[in-house]
Amino acid sequence: MSIIETTLIFAGIPVAVILIIAGAVYAGGSRRSRRYRPGRPFDFTPVWFLSAPEQQTEAAHARELTGVRRAELTASGESSGVTDWSGDRTQPQVIGGASDRW
Amino acid sequence: MTGGSPAGLTGRPEVLNGPFTTRQLLRLDEALRLADSSTGLTFSIYVGDLEEPGRTYAEKLHGQLADPANTVLIALSPNQRVLEIVTGGEARRRLPDRAAKLAALSMAAAFGGGDLAGGLVSGLAQLADHAGKH
Repeated sequence: MSIIETTLIFAGIPVAVILIIAGAVYAGGSRRSRRYRPGRPFDFTPVWFLSAPEQQTEAAHARELTGVRRAELTASGESSGVTDWSGDRTQPQVIGGASDRW
Repeated sequence: MTGGSPAGLTGRPEVLNGPFTTRQLLRLDEALRLADSSTGLTFSIYVGDLEEPGRTYAEKLHGQLADPANTVLIALSPNQRVLEIVTGGEARRRLPDRAAKLAALSMAAAFGGGDLAGGLVSGLAQLADHAGKH
């Protein structure tokens, strides 16, 4: 084997393999990752889900769960669901629940 | 989520610009349906920014649903790192605040690890479990 052949086989082939793998990695990684990482800004369209929205919402826009924007959802009616929990106003019907942060 | 989107035929439905992938949406759909059918209550999930104060805003969203008394709303804001569970008057009898807090704790733990869908699915199961059969 000449020097050139040796170089091609023992250096050229490994380098080619490395380039192919690196190319594959970057080709796949170009898609923007949409993962949520706490503490980093996470840009997304607000969504509101119901299992059977057509029966349960008054808002016509919320009929389909298509990730409707909050403005559209909240535009339908100005109801004041304020309770003793938030302490703003008292209301005959008592709403409960829980809050948490992370 | 069972409702098909007209945009689905022509292009990318808007819900996919939300925080979940298609697979996660399917899991959430299943979890919501299971929770609803097993308890008879209505469960709803809102993911988006909550105007300050968050609690009041979540209650306002809850009030906009068709039957707030029997509805449990899980509202979370990933950017503000806030989770609010709002239970209506009737729902609260079956789902006391203590149970809601317990579910909130486990959900917040999952969210803190960056797993929004997983936390919601397990939280829903926990809430539905506690509310019991109807």
